[in-house]
Amino acid sequence: MNGRLNERDPADLRRPFRYVLWAVLLAFSLLAVRLAYMQIVRGEEYRERSESNSVRLRKIKPYRGLILDGDRNVLVDNKSSFDLVYIPPRVMDIGPVIEKVRRLYEERGLKIANENPPSGKTRAFVPVCIERDISLAKVAVIEGHALDLPGLIVEVSPSRDYPEGEVMAHLLGYTGEISKEELEQAEGDHFGPGDIVGKDGVEKYLEPYLGGRSGMEQVEVNAAGRVVRSLGRVEPVSGYNVQLTVKRRIQRAAWEGLNGRPGAVVAMDPRDGSILALVSSPSFDPNLFRGGISAGDWVKLSRNPLAPLENRVVSGQYPPGSTYKLIVAAAALQEGILKDDTRFFCRGALEMGNRQFRCWNRGGHGWVNLHRAIVESCDVFFYQVGRLLGEERLARYARQFGLGDFTGIDLPREKKGLIPTAVWKEKRFKRPWHTGETLLTSIGQGYTLTTPLQLAVAYGALANGGTLWRPRLIRQIETADGRVIKAFPPERRGVVPIGEENLRRLRKALWGVVNEGGGTGGAARRPQGDVAGKTGTSQVVGETPGGRKRGKRYEDHALFVGFAPFRDPEIVVAVVVEHGGHGGGAAAPVAKKVIDAYFEDKAGEGGRR
Amino acid sequence: MRLDRGLWGNLDWFLLALVLAICLLGLVNIYSTGFSLLHDKTSALFVRQSQWLLMGLCGMVIAFFLGYRFIASWAYVIYALSVILLVIVLFYGHTTHGSQRWINIAGFSFQPSEMVKLTMILALARYFNDHPSPRSYTLKELLPPLAICVLPLVLILRQPDLGTALMLLILFVSFIPVVGIRWRDLVTVTAVTAVLVPMGWFFLKDYQKERILTFINPYRDPLGSGYHIIQSMIAVGSGGVLGKGFLKGTQTQLKFLPEQQTDFIFSVFAEEWGFLGGVILLAMFTLLVVWGLRIALHSRDYLGTLVAYGITALIFWGAFINMGMVLGLLPVVGVPLPFFSYGGSAMVMLMTAVGILLNISTRRFILQS
Repeated sequence: MNGRLNERDPADLRRPFRYVLWAVLLAFSLLAVRLAYMQIVRGEEYRERSESNSVRLRKIKPYRGLILDGDRNVLVDNKSSFDLVYIPPRVMDIGPVIEKVRRLYEERGLKIANENPPSGKTRAFVPVCIERDISLAKVAVIEGHALDLPGLIVEVSPSRDYPEGEVMAHLLGYTGEISKEELEQAEGDHFGPGDIVGKDGVEKYLEPYLGGRSGMEQVEVNAAGRVVRSLGRVEPVSGYNVQLTVKRRIQRAAWEGLNGRPGAVVAMDPRDGSILALVSSPSFDPNLFRGGISAGDWVKLSRNPLAPLENRVVSGQYPPGSTYKLIVAAAALQEGILKDDTRFFCRGALEMGNRQFRCWNRGGHGWVNLHRAIVESCDVFFYQVGRLLGEERLARYARQFGLGDFTGIDLPREKKGLIPTAVWKEKRFKRPWHTGETLLTSIGQGYTLTTPLQLAVAYGALANGGTLWRPRLIRQIETADGRVIKAFPPERRGVVPIGEENLRRLRKALWGVVNEGGGTGGAARRPQGDVAGKTGTSQVVGETPGGRKRGKRYEDHALFVGFAPFRDPEIVVAVVVEHGGHGGGAAAPVAKKVIDAYFEDKAGEGGRR
Repeated sequence: MRLDRGLWGNLDWFLLALVLAICLLGLVNIYSTGFSLLHDKTSALFVRQSQWLLMGLCGMVIAFFLGYRFIASWAYVIYALSVILLVIVLFYGHTTHGSQRWINIAGFSFQPSEMVKLTMILALARYFNDHPSPRSYTLKELLPPLAICVLPLVLILRQPDLGTALMLLILFVSFIPVVGIRWRDLVTVTAVTAVLVPMGWFFLKDYQKERILTFINPYRDPLGSGYHIIQSMIAVGSGGVLGKGFLKGTQTQLKFLPEQQTDFIFSVFAEEWGFLGGVILLAMFTLLVVWGLRIALHSRDYLGTLVAYGITALIFWGAFINMGMVLGLLPVVGVPLPFFSYGGSAMVMLMTAVGILLNISTRRFILQS
């Protein structure tokens, strides 16, 4: 060490150190004196205050905002939930208290609904919730015996009511107690343990608007924990109301159309991307989550192989089947591969090397042009077109239709789907791409995956002349007295690069699918002749790579995507019925129901106003 | 050199024992606060604090063996790193209770503002050691070290964290009596400060103004920031001479005190252990600080004096400001109680500092023997 020891004479340091030492001793003595003053001189007084101190801060939960549909029907309401709470006066066993409640209930023929009432030792004065969301009859029993039941109180807190139940579950989501992780991530300090927050769907997405702000109350409680009086109160602020674009009537029609079969339905206004209905089946009852879902119910929901908690409209990824042929056709028209007089001969299959690629119609369609190929959904025609187009060009067009990418809808857990290319396959499987795979891709089988919502958006662009909209679920956010504080205008994501003339030809073919003889979508036909659309069948087993071979049923998924009215489309509907068989048989009737409901709703509205 | 044998043979057992005793008392106390919380956080607080104490002990051992001369030779680099972390926190840190203080590194979430207290002390000690003044410093000569203090201070104020920023300033000022300043300059600075402080009022955030006003009269806002002070004073006072006993503090167990495990931890201790416990804890802190000053004075070189003095000042001010706040003598500014408050960053930083202190204390004997 370089001899810098003691640059300053230690003797020099003694003086300042002595001052510092005295200052420290003085400071700590001051604390000691203060401590003595508070604990010895005034100790008795403080002790009395702490014993009678019954003043505590209580959080007042706010009412969440209402959620309304496009016609201002209430989809999510608030109600008061009564919770039975016990405040133990000391450390004690909770068992006898539960027993007492049970006996009282039994006198009136009531039962404790809570599957697992609390048990074991309590901590002194720490409130224990015995039963959540009790009926008014029970409230009457408890309040009637208030004097015999010291410490038992009924707490009123706001809770959610979902009158539509399963029909709207995936769209609206549900609420629950804030989790530890959410608490840590929360910004600012207006969240605390025990707060109720949105957990899924719109409830979650719009939490900052719906949630409101907790109030505080300083209350004096007696030894039994009952509030004696209020000493001061900061009122909670209710959340804002939210109006959705969805229409209750159309939503119900879609739900009834699926009729309990697993699948998904989404309806959108192709003029601005407004979602009119969004149904995923099987579903769950969001009211189950009120006041905490019971363990039994949760296991039933989360372990169900049919995944009722999953929103199939945004996270169900299905091979698009023949509905994909429209994308192939659009690309081929635009690239000049298909001319007015292009025809291919279908004899029921196409040979490729030593493999045979079959058409769904084993007998063959004979000579077909584009119009007939779409109307009759000829596979061989599209094998030929796909081979000429190549998978790279096809993938490029598919992406421009918004496939293989998020649609940007305001719902959690959206999936991207998959548009395969040679590059992708090389990366994923370390294997080269085969022409055979191009053929499969051009009829929407193989690796290709799309969500029902993506199909609706893509067909929306076909229907509206080429505009790709971001699906819009929320119309506006408003105060309780109806003042709009935030509007969500439609959002254009892009324009598909298909000429107007080509789009018109495709739409005409789609009309043919539903309304011409030999068309596969006849089941969606209305007397007005105004529906256009495309059926699809997505194979569950067979060529589906890595597919759901372990599924209970091996039948194919049925798809239908269509729009109406044909001349000036106002609604586009995408339907998937899992294991429904052929699209024309299972899915098209559902779409028709939804379209019927749309026009009934429109007519009714005109009549009413 | 008899370094290695000497390092062990002359280990300052008294300092080590004293610090460990305070830490253990702190753990017991954290157990009590965790006990009352709902949602079974019971063990979580206690377990995590224990883990942090273990991490702190590792830091202590490492610092002890690296030695204060080696650490001080890197002082500017460490200081710069910690300042960079403060900048990162401003952009990427996450926010809790309205201020952005935390940063995630390798799965750990920590507060660079705690770390900077120690690195600033090291940088200041190094500076004063490298630039000794034959007599006393003039104001101009004090500008560079002031800059060392002000740079992180401004960054921390932006978070905003008034307590820590204030702490940095107080630590800097604490060096003055030891390094010396000209009388004339001292008078000037005092006068200017006396004028500027009232003006500073206008730069405070509303909640900070609120805290100061409430300090003057807690009953001004018994629902908001005054609630803490009132309940904390009731907790302390009701402890009486002998306290209510472990896990029996009603104020604590009934959760009259929100967030009691951090800045208001002393009120929990004073309620459950009473005046007796409180005075014993105070005596332990006093002993620790006096012992730290002794180490500083008897260090074998000026650098050791400065580092030991700075670390001692850190412990002293933490203890004094925090307890003063809980006892209603000082405004609520958010300074944790050293070795006691719940929090990993502070624990690791403090134990590392103790490791350095131990090293300085031990080296002294090596030179003289």
